[in-house]
Amino acid sequence: MRRMLTVGVGLSTSLVLAGCATNAPQDTFQPKGPNAQMIDDLQKPVFAVAGIIGVIVTVAVLYAIYKFRDRGQPIPEQTHGKPALEITLTIIPALILTVVGVFTFRTVFDLAKTSDTEMIINVTGQQWWWEYDYPVQNEYGITQPIITSGQLVIPVGTKVMLRQTSRDVIHSYWIPALNGKRDAVPGRVHLNRIEADEPGIYAGQCTEFCGLSHANMRMEAVALSKADFAKWVAGQLKPYTPPAENTLAKEGEAVFVNQCARCHQVNGMKRADGTAIIAAPDESVVSGAAPNLSHLMSRNTFAGAMFDLLNTSCRKDVWDADSESFGAKYLQGVSEDCLNQSDLRGWLRNAPEMKPMYVNPELLSSTGGKYRGMPYLGLTESDIEKLVAYLLTLK
Amino acid sequence: MFSTGSKYFFGITLFGALSFAVYMLLIDESAIGATALLGAVAATALLTTLVLSTRDGEAGEAGVAATEDTPTSSMWPLITAAGFVILLAGTITTTAVFLLGVVVLLASLFEWTVLGWSERASSDKAYNASLRKRLLHPIEFPVISAVGLGVIIVAFSRITLAISKDAGAIAFIVIGLAVLGAGVLFSLRPNLKRGIVIGISTVGALGIVSAGIAGAGAGVRDELAEARSEGHYTHQDCGAEKSKYFDKLPLEVVSSTASVIATVEIVNGKLTARAQGIPGDQESITIPRSNPSSVMFVNKDQEEHRLVANLGTKVISGDVKEDVVLCTQMIADGAEQVLILNIPKPSMAGKPYTLTVPGLAGQSIEVIVP
Ligand code: HEC
Ligand SMILES: [Cu+2]
Repeated sequence: MRRMLTVGVGLSTSLVLAGCATNAPQDTFQPKGPNAQMIDDLQKPVFAVAGIIGVIVTVAVLYAIYKFRDRGQPIPEQTHGKPALEITLTIIPALILTVVGVFTFRTVFDLAKTSDTEMIINVTGQQWWWEYDYPVQNEYGITQPIITSGQLVIPVGTKVMLRQTSRDVIHSYWIPALNGKRDAVPGRVHLNRIEADEPGIYAGQCTEFCGLSHANMRMEAVALSKADFAKWVAGQLKPYTPPAENTLAKEGEAVFVNQCARCHQVNGMKRADGTAIIAAPDESVVSGAAPNLSHLMSRNTFAGAMFDLLNTSCRKDVWDADSESFGAKYLQGVSEDCLNQSDLRGWLRNAPEMKPMYVNPELLSSTGGKYRGMPYLGLTESDIEKLVAYLLTLK
Repeated sequence: MFSTGSKYFFGITLFGALSFAVYMLLIDESAIGATALLGAVAATALLTTLVLSTRDGEAGEAGVAATEDTPTSSMWPLITAAGFVILLAGTITTTAVFLLGVVVLLASLFEWTVLGWSERASSDKAYNASLRKRLLHPIEFPVISAVGLGVIIVAFSRITLAISKDAGAIAFIVIGLAVLGAGVLFSLRPNLKRGIVIGISTVGALGIVSAGIAGAGAGVRDELAEARSEGHYTHQDCGAEKSKYFDKLPLEVVSSTASVIATVEIVNGKLTARAQGIPGDQESITIPRSNPSSVMFVNKDQEEHRLVANLGTKVISGDVKEDVVLCTQMIADGAEQVLILNIPKPSMAGKPYTLTVPGLAGQSIEVIVP
């Protein structure tokens, strides 16, 4: 008995203490934008009310259990059929629920507001990464559509409307610090407002079970000051510059064209005869899409934000930056010195080993030979060397 | 030692175990099937033990001696024989008939077995009959009413397909009212003679079924027959209109009505586009690459119009290229139709993708695919 008590106390203490983690980027109790704040303003009082009622009920039940335990006494007086008591006990919870309901509905409607949108970003989920595309919006300098993945870059203090959909199964977009969850459903467009108060990185993950690598389908929202955001946009619109002749990167480009360009688009890349190289991921991937790599090294993560493109020290430098210097650090992107060589090389060497995906050719008959994810490509180490040099030029 | 209930459960358990064996040996060695059947066996075995240990919750039966009476007359041998004949006929005709035979055979054998067993349960005929009912009614009633309902529904659908739309609506109302009226009558007059109730029900059911047979014989109404022969359900090319009928939902995708990525309207000769979630009219819409996206076309012009999506070219072979166009049908003022675009190539692959309406020169909505 004493033993069990000790274990019980130990377990519950550690559970409570686990709630005090300082490095918990997906903590729902730390809103970092007005939408999440609205939810927080609702959930805290409701939680408090529910908690108080919970305590009262538990205490009352424990008291009754103890007070009226069987000691052979006669059955105590029964209170059945006392309308006044019964009506009171019905009306009180009804009133509490009504109050909670009114505030909940108000929040739901506030969160669904679309009339004050300042910026539009289309979000498309697929197994197991998110694609973001920014339609032309001249007021932000977006004169050509921008397409990226994994990290959603937004300006601070701007009401951003995500138009979410999916290419395969249902996913759900959730950045706890910025807003609640919203499903991304094939064939539908769901709206999701987000806004960040301060520059910084806000982590999240897919919250609708979507297959093998659901747990590895992460995302990050990166908020930049308005000036920094304009710089980011300019960077994304920079035309393609092929690597200089006779460099390792140039050889890497050739490998890329042979091995990767059938799935991955690099905007502006051309064949020798001047025609554009257009990827056709729809021919080999179930969802019909693979990440656009035009500006790969401008993001900090890859493969559904599962891996960092920055090595540990550079990553720490960016994540721990204060909101003043964060933007400049983020905009530096990934340089050769900062690159997380081992994960990127590991990915090129054997992607399905790094992230579980349905890419075993023997098991693909149900999808007509198409992959869910990036397959094993059997590259040589020298190809990988060249590819890494090339990918580093995609800024 | 074996009480009424335990025999029943014992039988089911045995049957389950046998099915399990047959399933594993002859049909499929799947884990799911095995789990389901074993689960059933375990559950019924548990019930058997429970019932055995409580002796059905009643001790009364134990002392009653089994009857020596001859069995009552029954129709089950006849139906069993009929089932066997149907089954044989099925082996030389179609699988459906064969399956019907199997079902009839199994059902009648089951009924017959239970009947035979219940008649020997005690020397009290009334008690035996009630025993049979207690076991079989919970199965018989739902099955019979489900089959009956199915027949009525199919018959009724044949009627409504054969007569015109308006007549169909009237028939629906009249028959519905008649059923309601009969129900009201029966409940207001609980003492109504059994014969009258059965009579009314039989006439009603027979009426619907025979009208249904007549309807099936007459075929579907002209308009549907014509639409079907024109194949307009799949008609989506942009040549001369083949059919004067059109579907609001050419592909019958539920989500295409539930959520459209953009709505394109013609109002007084002007083409406008609105995108879901973006305030105001748009000159271009952005849709994700390789993802079926529904665009709703609404005609609010006096003339008939169709929406045409110009989606670049595709290589047929070598240098031969073909324009990719997709259209709605010509739709009249006030009508709407969904066009589902699935564009695998980004806009930068060639000339811009556009949505246009033939006859409205100089107006178009650009479709951007990043
Ligand atoms: C059969 C299609 C296919 C081929 C060929 C292919 N990939 Fe991929 N690649 C994918 C898919 C799908 C993903 C997304 C996987 C995920 O995140 O779950 C991906 C992800 C990536 C990523 C992470 C991008 C990001 O933003 O998250 C990189 C980098 C990458 N691939 C590089 C390459 C290189 C280099 C090659 C050529 C050697 C290559 N891929 C060949 C399909 C392909
Ligand atoms: Cu997901």
